Amino acid sequence: MIPRTRNASASFSAAEPQRWHLQKPGGDSIALGLAVLVVGSLCLLPLVRLIVEAVAPGGTLDLATVERVLARTSTWRATWRTLEVGLLSMLVSLALGLLMALLVSASDVRGKAAIVFAFMLPLMIPPQITALAWMQLTGASSPLLRSLGIAPPPGTPNPLYSREGLILLLGIQHAPLVFITVAASLRRMSMELLDAAFLAGASRLQAIRYVILPLLAPALIAGGALAFVSAIGNFGIAAMIGIPARYTLLPVLIYERLASFGPTVLAEVAVLAIIVGGLALLGVLLQRWLRARRDVTLDGIGGRPLVLPLGPWRPWAEAVAWLLLIVVLVLPLLALVAAALTPAAGVRLTPETLTFANFHQVLFVQDVTRRAFANSTTLAGAAALVLALIAVPLAYLIAWRPSRLTAALDTAAELPYALPGVVLAVAFIMLFLQPLPLLGVSLYGTHAIILLAYLAAFLTLALRPTLAGMAQLAPSIDEAAQLDGAGLAQRLRHILLPLVGPMAAAGGILVFMTAVNELTVSALLWTSGTETLGVVVFNLNDSGYTALAASVACLAVVAILALMTLAQWVDQRSGLGILPWSGTADRGD
Amino acid sequence: MRWQTLALALAAGALPLLASGEVHAVSGELTLYTSQPNEDAQATVDAFKALHPDVEVSWIRDGTVNIMAKLRAEIAAGAPQADVLLIADTVTMESLKGEGLLLAHEEADISAYDAAIHDADKTYFSTKLITTGIVYNNAVETPPGSWKDLEDEDLAGLIAMPSPLTSGAALIHVAAMVEHPDFGWAHFEALEKNGVQPQGGNGAVFQAVAGGEKLYGIVIDYLPIREAAKGSPVSFVFPEEGVSAVTEPVAILSTTQNPDAAKAFVDFLLSAEGQALAASQGYLAAHPEIAPPDGFPPLSDITLLPFDAGKALADDTANKERFSELFGG
Repeated sequence: MIPRTRNASASFSAAEPQRWHLQKPGGDSIALGLAVLVVGSLCLLPLVRLIVEAVAPGGTLDLATVERVLARTSTWRATWRTLEVGLLSMLVSLALGLLMALLVSASDVRGKAAIVFAFMLPLMIPPQITALAWMQLTGASSPLLRSLGIAPPPGTPNPLYSREGLILLLGIQHAPLVFITVAASLRRMSMELLDAAFLAGASRLQAIRYVILPLLAPALIAGGALAFVSAIGNFGIAAMIGIPARYTLLPVLIYERLASFGPTVLAEVAVLAIIVGGLALLGVLLQRWLRARRDVTLDGIGGRPLVLPLGPWRPWAEAVAWLLLIVVLVLPLLALVAAALTPAAGVRLTPETLTFANFHQVLFVQDVTRRAFANSTTLAGAAALVLALIAVPLAYLIAWRPSRLTAALDTAAELPYALPGVVLAVAFIMLFLQPLPLLGVSLYGTHAIILLAYLAAFLTLALRPTLAGMAQLAPSIDEAAQLDGAGLAQRLRHILLPLVGPMAAAGGILVFMTAVNELTVSALLWTSGTETLGVVVFNLNDSGYTALAASVACLAVVAILALMTLAQWVDQRSGLGILPWSGTADRGD
Repeated sequence: MRWQTLALALAAGALPLLASGEVHAVSGELTLYTSQPNEDAQATVDAFKALHPDVEVSWIRDGTVNIMAKLRAEIAAGAPQADVLLIADTVTMESLKGEGLLLAHEEADISAYDAAIHDADKTYFSTKLITTGIVYNNAVETPPGSWKDLEDEDLAGLIAMPSPLTSGAALIHVAAMVEHPDFGWAHFEALEKNGVQPQGGNGAVFQAVAGGEKLYGIVIDYLPIREAAKGSPVSFVFPEEGVSAVTEPVAILSTTQNPDAAKAFVDFLLSAEGQALAASQGYLAAHPEIAPPDGFPPLSDITLLPFDAGKALADDTANKERFSELFGG
């Protein structure tokens, strides 16, 4: 799943007093007009089109489609299952994320940086690869278990293909989201908070239970909501595990309807997309309401960092942390490698049968793999570049020219990211299937439609860090330049870009890392020549080429590790602290 | 290996034909939509490109039903990407032909073939015979011999089947079985009672049986026959009542931008060389002079289930809907 950095958002509100316009605001008006056009057509228009398609498929109000879809058992079954799996997997994420955050940010275990890096990996590994790896770990066909001779006998169903399997994998995938928010909150706490408790004779466990946990409530609510929203919008795990389990969640129902019946069911899937979008928004709103009631301010307490010495328990705590990481990360990845080295389905993997033929096939024979690597890097790179460039003027307008309109732009930019990817993809098909007016060409089936969907989906990832960068600048720099008669274009180029450029670039890196392995949007938008990496892994597995799928997945994981290492290195060298997990392991290590 | 040698021999035999100018040089871009497995599709495209190096071929693979949905979306967008379709069944082709979406290839040389397997108007051409039978994991004690064996309660939870919402071959299989006097929908109701959960295409079914997650599968012939030769612990049976069959037809879309290259591709598939390539990949070739690959019985020993193509076309949507209702899709 995708990292969500929202910690910066609270710092900018539209409440900042209106500044004197020292110069005629011509440049600003043009910029604002452009911003409204870009954000409006990327982030709002597709959603409007989606709603129109659902309630007025022929152009006039017609609720027949809505009624037909709502009358189906499959709709309600999928909705209920989505809600159930979303909530239960959220509990798994909360438990795992909280445990790891307490160990890393509030205790004195060793090797924190390594633990954080390893625990963040599930978030950066795309869900379809997580699912594929786990599928190779469990069940009668597991190459790893078979080569060790401990696989269940043939005919035993794979325990992962079940509701519980879905909950477990979604829980693991999104546990880092809880970890990030909780760890950030723990970092703002200090030992002084616990002094009174210890003076009164409280044990360490009691201190955690009665002092720390209540203070963590807002972070837990925020992290839990992120995990829930991500889980109900997840496609990779929901499809790879849910389809064999015949446990259909809403995003998969939408995919299957579109994949089997084509454009004739567009209006129907629009209704389904609105349902899943509604569930996500419900999660976000509930979270805001809960947090508004329980907000705790910790900033400014200062003092000694919160580190609970574990004493004799330290080796045990470290063992638990690493055992957990071995189970959720190392074993599935080993199984994935074993699957990639298997010569033919069902053959027992031994040093004699082991083969690199699958890697050879995907790297040197199959055109599609190379094309997908090229497509994914190009699309993700273009999205990162464009968004980093858009983010600077947009952040300028939102932070330094606040108005109701720019506040609305801020919210609109975040909307597509909060919605499940499948909703966005369906909306983009509807908007761009018909040939564009004036030009007469359709964007459907081109790279452009996927790129536009990425721009909409990940705009907020580039905008947040840039806004955070703007917060540290005094607007007086800009005002001075204005007094000197510099126009907006000049100020953007010579003042803003050098100052917040690094932050926008960091946002671009986040966009790239998220988009390069993306599946949810491209699963519905790909066509001949525009396959992405996510699509290739998904389709190879879907066609029964598990070993080939596993080989591509292994290559993708290696690429992800390299990207993460690079990003972390850049992050530390530049001191930007922009990665969602940066700073988490800084303390007491 | 034997087949590759034969393919080479045939290629050498075909060269004089090329030199005689029967095939003129073609170039440009060509997009193929196919339901062939990835490796076979890539090998077919590579063999074609070896003959026509100036043609840039790109291709995508998905289940026939899914490929059609994608193509329908593109047609709705006014920009169908595919030039050539190579999909599982003639029923789908017949419906495309009915809508005027196929281009007739009048010059196609089908003199060597049984005329009955190709479209009389030359809009689509059968390239292979792909039958659907039963695969089982060699761990089972008594191999199945009849479709009725799959209705046995002892096999509950052990059978895999492809979904007719993905696979064209599975859709034809369902159409053939429900019209059969001895089976009908009761057969699938019995399968449903036996815990069959149709999902994905034939590849997924084969994987499940070879890996041992299921022990029996309803699947197309060449996957298990070919993979068993590579060491997969599976066997394939042609049930005694007969097998359903598709012919993997190829057709040119009427919207093609490159009809010459598209025709060259069709010619290649129908040529002795193209047919030998199919046989070397483990398929029963449509060309009567190409011998069946290892592991297949002689063509004369294979019994086909009766099949009414017109009825299958008319019932297409109804069958899909009844099936997905029955299995809770």
